[in-house]
Order: sequence, then C-alpha cells, then structure tokens
Amino acid sequence: MRPLTVDSVDARADSEIPWLTDLRRQGLEAFQRLPMPTSVEEEWRYIDLDFDLADLGLADKPGAPMTPGPYDVDGLGRATIVDGSVVVVEPADGITISRIADADPLLLAGAADAAIPADLDRFSAASYGFGGDGLMVHAAQGSVASGPVVVDVQAVTPGTLSLPRIVLVAERQSELSVIILYRSPDEGVFHVVPHLQATVGDNARLKLTTVQAWGTDTTAIGQQRVVLGRDAHLHHGEAGIGAALGRLHFFVDIDGPGAHSEITGLYFGEADQVLDYRAFINHRAPHTTSNMFLKGAVEDASHSVFTGLIRIEAEAQRVNAYQTNRNLVLSDEAGAESVPNLEILANDVKCGHASTVGPLDADQRYYLMSRGLDRLHADRLQVRGFFEEAIARLPHQQLADPIRAAVNEKYVRAQDEGRT
Amino acid sequence: MSLALEVRNLRASIGSIEILRGLDLEVGFGELHVLMGPNGSGKSTLCHALMGKPGYSTTGSALVAGRELLGEDVETRARMGLSEAFQYPTEIPGITLRDLFEELADQRDDGDAIRARVSEAADRLDATRFLDRPVNGGLSGGEKKRSEIFQLAVLAPSVAVLDEIDSGLDVDAVREVAEAVERMRGPDIGVLLITHYNRILQYLKPDRVHVMVAGAIVQSGGPELAEELEERGYTDLVAEFGGPTPDAGEDDFLAGL
Repeated sequence: MRPLTVDSVDARADSEIPWLTDLRRQGLEAFQRLPMPTSVEEEWRYIDLDFDLADLGLADKPGAPMTPGPYDVDGLGRATIVDGSVVVVEPADGITISRIADADPLLLAGAADAAIPADLDRFSAASYGFGGDGLMVHAAQGSVASGPVVVDVQAVTPGTLSLPRIVLVAERQSELSVIILYRSPDEGVFHVVPHLQATVGDNARLKLTTVQAWGTDTTAIGQQRVVLGRDAHLHHGEAGIGAALGRLHFFVDIDGPGAHSEITGLYFGEADQVLDYRAFINHRAPHTTSNMFLKGAVEDASHSVFTGLIRIEAEAQRVNAYQTNRNLVLSDEAGAESVPNLEILANDVKCGHASTVGPLDADQRYYLMSRGLDRLHADRLQVRGFFEEAIARLPHQQLADPIRAAVNEKYVRAQDEGRT
Repeated sequence: MSLALEVRNLRASIGSIEILRGLDLEVGFGELHVLMGPNGSGKSTLCHALMGKPGYSTTGSALVAGRELLGEDVETRARMGLSEAFQYPTEIPGITLRDLFEELADQRDDGDAIRARVSEAADRLDATRFLDRPVNGGLSGGEKKRSEIFQLAVLAPSVAVLDEIDSGLDVDAVREVAEAVERMRGPDIGVLLITHYNRILQYLKPDRVHVMVAGAIVQSGGPELAEELEERGYTDLVAEFGGPTPDAGEDDFLAGL
C-alpha cells in the first residue's frame, strides 16, 4: 500500500490539463493543513468519523474487477474504475470516453468551472492530492447519444482508500446520459472518496443516475458538483442502498438563465448504516428552476441525514425552487435528521420546502388491513408505495426494478427476521 | 341459519368518551338495511368499531355470520367476512389497486379466486380503469365511492357496511352508486348502508330503515320511515334521545364521527 505522502503521488496520472494540475498542487497543500472534519462543523453535523485519512493507504495496483451485479445494465459505452484507477474504457459512438491523462486538454478546458474546490475539506484535498487516473466522458456540441454510458466504480482491495474521479462534459446543445454504479464487496473494509463533476453547456441536457451499492463495511465520502449553463437541464437520480457510512455532499450551480435542475433520490438504511446527504442548490441566474425530491427510510439502528440549502442570489430573480424530503423511521433505534434551508437574496422568487420524519401511517395500515391484508403485508405495501413515488421519477427507468427490489428486500428481510 | 350481522349491546368509546351506548342491530343475509341519523350520532364510529380501528374500545357483541368480531384485529375481521366502504377512503400513494389485490392474492390461500373476482368485478362494474391508478389517489368523490364498491365486490364479504357512500355526490353519481349497491345484493350478503339523506333511497329498496341518535338505534321501520324522517327531520328525536355525542375538542381522531 502507498501512504498518503508527497512521495506517493502517482506521476503517471499527471495530466496535461492545467487546472487539474493546479488542483493537485492545491490538494497536496490543503491536505497538510486541514484536519479531519468533526461534527462541530455544520456540514458534518450528526456525523462522527472514527478514522484519519492519513492512516490509510492506496492500492499498489488495481485489484481484480467484480463480476456484474444487479444494477449492471446495458450501456452505449462503458468504463470501469477499480481502486481509483481507470481499468477499462469501451468507447461509444458520438461520445468520447477516456482516461483524463489521455484526454485532449481542449475537451476539458470548459470543465474547470465545475471543479470541486480542493480545500472543501480534507477528503477533497486527498482526492486531488493523491488521486490517480480519472475518467472523462465528453459529449460534443450538438451530439445526442442513443443510450447511457455506464461507469462501474469499484473498490476491491480490502483495507485501502480509493479516490476515483469522473469528469462529465456535455457541450452546448448535446444530450448526455450517464449511469454510475458504486460498489465494493461486503467482505473487507474499504474507504472511498469519489469525485464527480459535470459541466452542462448551454441548452444541453444531462441525465445522471448514481447508485451507491457499496458493501457493508465501506465508508464512502462522495463529493459531487454540477454546473448548468443557459437553458441547461439536469435530471439526476440517486439511490443510497449500501455502505456503512454513505455520504454525498453535492452542489448544483445553476449559472445560466433558464436552466433547470431536477433531482430525485431515495435511500434505505439498515443495521447501523449512516446515510448522509448534503445538498447545495445555488441559483445564480434568473428564470432558473430546481426541484429536489428525496425519500428515505431507516430501520434497525441506522441513521440518515439530509441537509439541503437552496441559495438564491440577488441577481437570480424569477426563480422557482422546491425541496422535499420525506423519511420513514421504521424502528425505535433508527433516526432521521431532515434539515431543509432557504437562503434567498432575490425578492421575486417562489421557493418552498417540505420535510417529514415519522413512522408508517396508521390510517394507511388500517385501510389496507380492512381489505384483508395482514399487518406485515399492509406495511410492506406501504413501504413499497412510499418509495414508488421516487422510483417513478428516476431518470433511468432501466434501473427501477433492481432499485425497487433492493429497498423492498431490505424491509421484507427485516420483517422476516422480526426486526420491525 | 345465522344472520349476516348481529350486533348486541355494542358500546364503543374513544378514551373516556362513550360514543356507542348499547347498540342492537340485525341484518339478515339477502337484506339491505339503511341506517340514518344526524351528525354526531355515532354512525361512523359504528363502522370503525365493527372494523376494529385502533383507538376504539368496545364491549358487547358483534357477530358476522355467527362469528364474534370483537377482540379480533382488523385483518381477521375482514377475513371473517366484514367489508366496509369508507366515507373518506385513505389514499395509498404509489400503490395501485392492482398492487393491493395482487398482494392480497399472494398472501391468501384463495388467491386464484381473488384474481378471478378482480377481472369479473372490473368488467361487471366497469371499473377496470381503477386498477392501474393509485389507491384513492387523484380520484373524484364519485370515483372514490365506486372504487370502494369495486373493492367490496372483489372481497365478496358476508356483510358490507357502506358509510355515507352517497355523500358529496351529484345526482348522476348517486344513481350510479345506488345501482352498484343493488348489484352487490344477493343471498350471501347482508348490506348496511349508512346515510344522511334519503336521496339515494329513491334508487334502492331497503328491507329496513333504522334511526340512530346519541349512539343507539332509537327507531326502526320499513322504507316509509326514511320518508317520514325527510319530512320531520331529526330534531324531535334528538330532543327525546339526546344530542350529538359530546364534543371532545380538537382531537383529529374524532373527525368523521
């Protein structure tokens, strides 16, 4: 294993992309300076980290890839990232999929604005400072892909830290569709800090689904940023299923007038899972719209966190922005935090948020039981219906069945084992 | 031969508030009975007490086809042959009626019979369009009532209790619902229809009409009783037998008594 020291920086991964080279330098500097975050910091409230990145090491070389899993769907093009290194790239017609190190710097020139800041926290610093090869998916101006690019991000060497990086660029007037599967085995401890950034150009569309199917002892600290140009459109779906600690800290910067961000997510925690979502939706241009719809459930002793900030800058008039987070708490020991926030500097906007945390609905249970369903089946149906509203809105419906099965099986298993 | 529904000295309360105060009622198989009464007389409480809604405590006896309901949970009462069409059917987001029936068929030994009744009743009641819509979601008032009656047709109960199945409907919808109720009748079922108004009775031929005031049945008779009530109202009866059950304040669970 390679420790996180300046000596271990992977020279092979150094790209000719000037802004990424800058960020690596900044990351190395910030990593020396920034401590591990604690729950005292607002963005880490409710989360206790019991490790230091400095004690972890990177895999010497990527391990053997995993066999296909339940979320493996057909893609127009594919790429596999194992232990932070891009190991497979299958190109697609009309889309450029490549290692960042091999990419034409011109194709990535416009992606600099969507970079996650290197000094966001110690995790981002480590990602830039010590991350290896990254993956670029680029849709040229006006191109429309006929199917999704599937990126399979895996951590497979137990005891290691991996720092995968994905850069998406949808040039103006293009349509790009990307599915990202995050996974690791249940056996073995893994730490992963995925970085995902996307630039959606003027009048371009990005359909993006991320599935966190990490193994049970994986800590995943995901960071994500999408920047939308004029009349750009983001449709993002997220499913939080696996991981011991699964965190997604994400930013959507709505920079172009007329742009729209649609985010639908669902998550289901069991055992002592912690699923942590930090959303920052920044409206920085007029006539922009955003909608976020997140549904989560927690059972056993699991916990979920949602904190969402919609920020509307003074110049962003005529904005519509909504945020909904609904949580089912299915056991006494489980808990859900839901903290939506608005920060509005403009004076002509429509904004709203809704947040609920509670048990299964007694009236629904009564109604279903009055039709002859026993309590287990009535509750099962209610949980299924709860998630169905989110699943129906996911951008890639080819993932609906395995995601539906994963969340419903979690609940049915808990029922069967008497944990509800 | 047992009765479809036989209620003896039924008392029901929520907390310390007694709402049903010794109610007796008999509905035979093949019969349609109508229960009328002013607001707050306990009509919906009777429905929930029979169905076993959590929060109600009950004493007395309520037999469906000769078997005691009280003390059983909601699902068991449904299996024993009691079905209700609710005044305010609960919306089940994300679940279609087809999902509900499929889950029920999966769970039950007679699943195939349930599936067969779903398609038969959907055809007969022209209710196919409800199958793939969320349960009670986005339905108009009349559609909700028709969806409830459709469900009852699939469940094929011994006793159907229809709680204000005609309220909030326009004239055409009332007639449609009444026709659906008439089609529901048969030798293997007793029907108890609870209503405020005798409007629906223009289209139905009840065997008996009962008047409920202050948690008990105070008068029973033939269909002519409904017409009498229409003329003279409930005022005299309320004065004689007591007013609405006490107002328990703002508690939500008392809504729809």
